[in-house]
Amino acid sequence: MSFLDRVIITNAKTVSTTSTGFGIGAGETWPGELALKLRPQIASYFGKQFTKGVIFVVGTNGKTTTTLMIKKILEAAGNRVIHNATGANLLNGIVSSCIRQTDWKGNLHADYGLFEVDENSLPIILQYITPIRIVILNLFRDQLDRYGEVDVIIEKWQKVLKDVSVQTEVILNSDDPSVAYFGHALDSRVRYFGLNDRKAYLKIAEHATDSAFCPQCGARLTYEGIYYSHIGIWHCEKCNLKRPIPDVHTFPKVLDGLYNQYNTLAAVALAKSLGLKESLMKQALTSFVPAFGRQEEIVVGDKTIKLFLSKNPAGFNASLRTVLELGAKNVFLVLNDRIPDGTDVSWIWDVDFEVLHTVHRVYVAGDRVYDLALRLQYADTKTHVEPELKIGIQKAIDTLPKDQTLFVLATYSAVLDIRKILLGHKIL
Amino acid sequence: MKKLQLNIAWLYPDLMSTYGDRGNVIVLEKRCVWRDIEAHVVPITLETDIKKLRECDLIFMGGAQDRQQKLVGEDFLTKKGPVVKKMVEDNVPALFVCAAYQFVGNYYLPYQGEKIMGAGIFDLHTEHYGDQSKRLIGNVVAKVIEDASIIVGFENHGGYTYLGSKMKPFAKVKIGGGNNGKDGYEGAVYKNSIGSYFHGPLLPKNPHIADWLIEKALEKKYGKTVVLKPLDDGFSSNARTAIMNRLGVLA
Repeated sequence: MSFLDRVIITNAKTVSTTSTGFGIGAGETWPGELALKLRPQIASYFGKQFTKGVIFVVGTNGKTTTTLMIKKILEAAGNRVIHNATGANLLNGIVSSCIRQTDWKGNLHADYGLFEVDENSLPIILQYITPIRIVILNLFRDQLDRYGEVDVIIEKWQKVLKDVSVQTEVILNSDDPSVAYFGHALDSRVRYFGLNDRKAYLKIAEHATDSAFCPQCGARLTYEGIYYSHIGIWHCEKCNLKRPIPDVHTFPKVLDGLYNQYNTLAAVALAKSLGLKESLMKQALTSFVPAFGRQEEIVVGDKTIKLFLSKNPAGFNASLRTVLELGAKNVFLVLNDRIPDGTDVSWIWDVDFEVLHTVHRVYVAGDRVYDLALRLQYADTKTHVEPELKIGIQKAIDTLPKDQTLFVLATYSAVLDIRKILLGHKIL
Repeated sequence: MKKLQLNIAWLYPDLMSTYGDRGNVIVLEKRCVWRDIEAHVVPITLETDIKKLRECDLIFMGGAQDRQQKLVGEDFLTKKGPVVKKMVEDNVPALFVCAAYQFVGNYYLPYQGEKIMGAGIFDLHTEHYGDQSKRLIGNVVAKVIEDASIIVGFENHGGYTYLGSKMKPFAKVKIGGGNNGKDGYEGAVYKNSIGSYFHGPLLPKNPHIADWLIEKALEKKYGKTVVLKPLDDGFSSNARTAIMNRLGVLA
């Protein structure tokens, strides 16, 4: 490392400390942004410092939870892990996480760099950092205004994965057709995780499906069973492409919800690829505390609130299914349309809110509260409408019977706002 | 009196349905049911016989990703498209949104490659000027030309659409890009059919457009004017006002 690098890192570190200290909240990406402006190669420099290598986790839903599970496992095995805990998953966020962890000489002392990576940023980040593993969870429609169409992401990823280093092993979801198909170009450096559980098949397909068509020939796929959205046991009758047999398909439950079974299996598949033992994983994941906003439990007085970050149709449907399985009687929905949420709120019409009509009390709030109220009106569900989030959440907590839980399903910025209201801080 | 009944064709629900398009169908169906009009949503996709389409009284077709639109291409141009064209000519009401709106035109001219033929149902064409040209993305507010009512929505398109002489523009843009970001118009009307770039989706927040389509469908099917019972549209009106206030537009 040059003297200049050291100066840049030290200065960026100061920025990090002060911006976090003053509670400005930009501490997550600012130092990285600054360092990258001055020296773009700083990302490669950090990438090479981890003694055992870098791991990336990508996909539309489940990145933060999966990454946290992997972290717990790696740490249980005695490793020092640096990861982007705040979910800042662009290049600047990753570099910021590193800067925060360096000593004052600019050196990292860590075995693994473990980072969740934004869908659009994967190609750019791969230009700087060669990971030892990439975990690909799933691909769903998400924030069309920001990410574009799912197909565009698939195309971009296909391109970069084709040229990925031979040192990189890729861990794929066998049950998501387009994700599994990435394995075709990668021959032996692939492992799959998936679910073999007939009892978990959906009875009726959800609406928000994106990739029920063959990634190889384009014909309509046939499903023996669907777990959720387009995730299931699939094959193509036209070209005979079929779901690969998963290497990892079972592990004891860590968190509620089928989608969390997938997150767990992904973490386990990754850990196995590093030669770690299952007994160690089980030990590491008992009493797992979820990441902020991901089934996070917040206790206010004698009332319990559970936060479910729900930011796209597949994620929202998965959250709805889970809270209903947990016997939800009080549901609080929040829809914002700020940049991190996506500015187009049309997607709420792809969510199957119709399942909520059995819930005792449904509240709606957020920047686009009336859009949400309107959607629920057409799902024949009565709502308590509250434009002001703070007042709404207070009312919902006040009227909540002591032995019941308030289940909050909210978009990204709304989850942060609610944490701010209830805990006094947005992320960590 | 016998119960009124409508068959609503939803073209390619598994292929041409991006970002909330389903909302348009839900709204058409519910606004019938709430008025005691029987409504059947008839999914029409690749394998569906055109006989089923012919039995429908109202047509909806939504947006698509490129790959899906290619899958639809031949089937629409050779099988369903000609039937839809005849129905539209015959005054059956239809709503075409985004990719469908482009697809029912005469042709689509991509930035690179050859002209892609459309179904020629609407006299219009669309051009794409490449990644460097401005994609029209954002909240939109427009005034419907026919009745001066306000509609709101969200647009997200790279193709610029130009209307031919047989078409009338649907609305005048107050905020946003509209058909091509230049002439100040949004969407197109031909007989009882509407084409639009509005997601949002269009019908939930602008229920009077849904009612107009339903009325036209009933009129055509039963040969008489049907006055629809008013419904509680408080939430849609609040949602419209909220976005107009934010954008600083007056009705």
